[in-house]
Formats: sequence, structure tokens, C-alpha cells
Amino acid sequence: MNTDKEKLLQLKGVSVQYGGVHALDTVSVSLDEGEVVALMGPNGAGKSTILKAIFGLAPLHTGRVLWYERPFTPVPHEVVRNGIAFVPQGRRVFTTLSVEENLEIGGYGIRDEKELKKRIESVMDMFPALKQKRKTLSGTLSGGQQQMLAIARGLMIDPKVLLLDEPSLGLAPKVVKEVFKKIAEINKNRKTAIMIVEHNIQSLLSVAHRGYVLDKGRIVAEDEAEKLTSSGILERVFTGRL
Amino acid sequence: MDIIPQIIANSIIAGSVYTLIAVSFNLIYGATKFFNITHGVMTAIGAYAVFFFGKQMGLSVWVAVLIGVLIAGMIGWLLDRFIYRPLREKKASQLALLVASLGAFTVLQALIAIIFTSRFQTLTHGVGVQKTFEIAGGIITQTQVLIVIAALVVTAGLMFFLKCTRFGKAVRAVSDDNEVSKIIGINTDRIIGIIFFIGSAIAGLAGILVGFDTAIEPTMGLVLLLKGVIAAIVGGIGSIYGGAIGALLLGFVENFGIIKIASEWKDAIAFGLLILFLIFRPRGIVRT
Ligand SMILES: Nc1ncnc2c1ncn2[C@@H]1O[C@H](COP(=O)(O)OP(=O)(O)OP(=O)(O)O)[C@@H](O)[C@H]1O
Ligand SMILES: [Mg+2]
Repeated sequence: MNTDKEKLLQLKGVSVQYGGVHALDTVSVSLDEGEVVALMGPNGAGKSTILKAIFGLAPLHTGRVLWYERPFTPVPHEVVRNGIAFVPQGRRVFTTLSVEENLEIGGYGIRDEKELKKRIESVMDMFPALKQKRKTLSGTLSGGQQQMLAIARGLMIDPKVLLLDEPSLGLAPKVVKEVFKKIAEINKNRKTAIMIVEHNIQSLLSVAHRGYVLDKGRIVAEDEAEKLTSSGILERVFTGRL
Repeated sequence: MDIIPQIIANSIIAGSVYTLIAVSFNLIYGATKFFNITHGVMTAIGAYAVFFFGKQMGLSVWVAVLIGVLIAGMIGWLLDRFIYRPLREKKASQLALLVASLGAFTVLQALIAIIFTSRFQTLTHGVGVQKTFEIAGGIITQTQVLIVIAALVVTAGLMFFLKCTRFGKAVRAVSDDNEVSKIIGINTDRIIGIIFFIGSAIAGLAGILVGFDTAIEPTMGLVLLLKGVIAAIVGGIGSIYGGAIGALLLGFVENFGIIKIASEWKDAIAFGLLILFLIFRPRGIVRT
């Protein structure tokens, strides 16, 4: 699917090692314009490392990262300028900053004050719960609200690509549903391409077009989302019967 | 004559000196989470720069002070750029950073002693009596008034800067989560470099003011660092507001503590206060 579209973001033959551990072993993944791609696999499979590699936060042993088919060397604080937003695992909002300040700092690269204000309002409109808590210290928000804020902060740059690492982690089922509704909305309304790491396969299938299954740093399957589930590969990987 | 007003005045003056050290220490600690011992020697660097440019070269006092503050800031920036930042990039342990910082402290202090000798020096010519003011029964010199004003301006300025400016918010973001700050597009190394400059410049100013108030010697940084750090921990490590509160408390406790006993007990009282806080309120007054 989507082969006619330009490849937005690619990892080609990427290996990452920590000491002797192969976090990633010659992994290749890609993301097309407007696409939602899922990264699945058990704990320690290397899912987060893929996203970190895109941001230069994991040391590349081999392989390349490509943006619009062109290789680039990711420098953590510069990747965002391409229009790539990263919402890391564990929410990680700036707990000592207010909700509004989190968004403001999310738009750190926006020099024009008026534009910044406008973006904050438009993002707040998407997340009414945050609007009410504008001046609240984000450390005191609920888990679900923090996750929303982390996503909202990423949207401040109006990204072409959104990288989401386990947005449902530690949230109640009802909240998970809300989060995924937002994610689907972002993809649909903003045409944002999304690469998402998720354990919650049910929720994931409602939004993902395509998926990769990882195990011990390798990609063991890659297909359209529905096909991956019907193939039974997920069960085998998660129960360690691969 | 009642001695209480004078003790209050002395407490505020000491508290103000500690404030300058504590808030600048906390500014750097907040952004780096590292116990920057070299911070102490910045006081001596500032003071000796003024000694050199003001007294030996004969530049006007204000120009010399400006140069002293800038030199302290610059050396702080250089230390970060060429020692601490490479160590951070190599993911060096906190202990390695601490030892590097102790090493830099020792080297810089020795350099000052080599260039200027270890003798006590004064920043002013002669022993000219300073202009004094009497406030509610307490005597306070012109320099001491400046010390109090400097502490107020620096603390309020830093708090405003962190709360209200774009750069200040970025500093708070970096203090909160360095990695996520990078992800969002903040050049955290640049921010930390600037923080080192500002923090070291403030420490330099503190040293200069102490120099004008009393005298200077190459080792002056150690006692100032210890008092500043005690104030920072008592107030709340990493917090500007906490640092200032802790410093004021320390100033009062020290000076009221020696009403009935010899003033040599001051340092012991300061450490006593530290130990009490470490046991009963380890996260400090503002609980960071
Ligand atoms: N900074 C690091 N230092 C050393 N090892 C690391 C580091 N980061 C990750 N690893 C190792 O790399 C492997 C992959 O980790 P990664 O975080 O990518 O897994 P994951 O698939 O995201 O797992 P989870 O579902 O638990 O988040 C693991 O074995 C992990 O222990
Ligand atoms: Mg992970």
C-alpha cells in the first residue's frame, strides 16, 4: 500500500548496540505521508530504540536515517526542525511547568509571538480538558491529562510526522479510548503521519494502516495491520513461541 | 545600647552574601544536577580581577567591577564548555563530575595564589573609612548596603527571568527534563553554557562585594562556597527562591547563635543547621 507516495521517513539497516546488547539489529522501517504505522513487540524488543534512533538519541552502529529519501545525521535538538515531533514513553511532561508553559515550550522554535499564541489556542481547542487547566502545574494532572498534554505539546510544531511511544501506558481503558480517538483525529484532520509504539493491540488496530513486529532487536513481520493480527504472529511473539 | 538591631543588620548582610552564592549555585545545579564545587573559586576570580584591573591597573572601580563579573562568567562558561560538557557527553558519573570540579577549583585557586601571592589584599586604597548609615539602630556601611541591594536585585531578577522570559522557560524545561528538552528543539548545551556564565558571574560579583567589605585572599572561595551550599540545601537545592530563603535563615541563625558564645562557633552553627535539615527536612524549606 502507498507505494506511489513519497517515503517520508526511513530507517535503513539500522543497528544499535549498548555495550554487548543488540538493541536493534539491521532494522529497516519506513513511514509514508499521512500513514499510521505501528511498532509492536514484547518488552525490550527495541521499539523505543527505533524512535530514539530517529532523534539521534540512540547511537547508530550501522545504517542510516532518511528524511524524504535523503540521509541525515540526526542531532537531537535539530530533528524537530524537519517537522518531526516525538512524544516519548512515560508521558514526560515538564512537571514543574504549567500546562500552558508546556505548550509554549513545545513551540520553542516559533519566533513569532502571535503565531505561538495562535498555535496554543488551536491545540487547546483540540484538548478541552487542558484548556480548563491552563495555569495548572502539569505535575498535578492525571495520567490521562498528562498524556494528552504530551501529545498536545508535540502538535505545537504542526508536525508532518508524529512519533508516539506507548501513549496508553498506565492509563485506564476509558482514557485509552479517548487517547486513541485523538490520535485518529490528528491523522485524519491534520494528515499527520504517525509512527506509534503500542502494547494495546486492540486500540492500535483501530488507527494503524501498517505494522512491524519486533523481537529481540529484529523485525520478524511486516504487513497491513489486519493481516498481522490474523496471521497469529503477534501471539507467537508475545508468548515467546517464535 | 541595644545590640539586637546590629545583630539583625549583620544577619541580613551575611544572608545577602550567602544569597548571591546560593541562588547562583542553585541555578547551575538545577540545570545540570551536578554539584559544582568550582563555583566557590569564581568569587576569588571576580575579586582578584577587580584587584588587578582596579587597584593595580588603576581603572575606575565600576569598570573594574564590570570586568571582574564578566571574567568570572567567562571562566564559568569555559569550564563547562571544555570540561563538564565533554564529561556529560561521555555520560560520566556524578562522582567524576564532582572530582573534575574539585580539581578545577584547586587549580584555579592555586593559579590565583601563584599570580597574586597568598597574602590578604584589600580592593580599596588605604584604610579609608567607609561611609556608614544607621538604620533603626544598626550601623551598616555603604558596601554592605550594596551587598543587600545586589542580593535583592539578583534574586528578583533571576526569578522574573525564569518565570517570564522565553529563555527562562527553556532553562526550567532543561532543569526539568534534559532529554525531552532536546526533543522539543532546545539546544540544551547552549542553555547550560549560558547558565554557567550567568551563575559564575553572580558568584564573581559576590566575591567582589565581599572583597570591598573586608579583604580578599585566594582561598576565600571555600568558606563562601560552603556557606552558599549549606544555604542552598537548607532552602531547597535547585530552587532560586529556596536558595535565598535558606541564605537568609543561615545568616540569622549564625549571627543570633553567637550572641552569648564566641564568634568562632559560627561555622559550627552553620553545619549544625545543615545537619538538622538533612535529618528532618532533607528536601529543604521549599521542598524541591
Ligand atoms: N540507554 C540504554 N543503555 C543500555 N541498554 C539499553 C538502553 N536503552 C535500551 N537498552 C536496551 O535495548 C533493548 C531495547 O530497548 P527498548 O527500550 O528499545 O525496548 P522496547 O521495545 O521499547 O521495550 P518496552 O516495551 O519495555 O518499552 C533492551 O534490551 C534494553 O535493555
Ligand atoms: Mg519502549
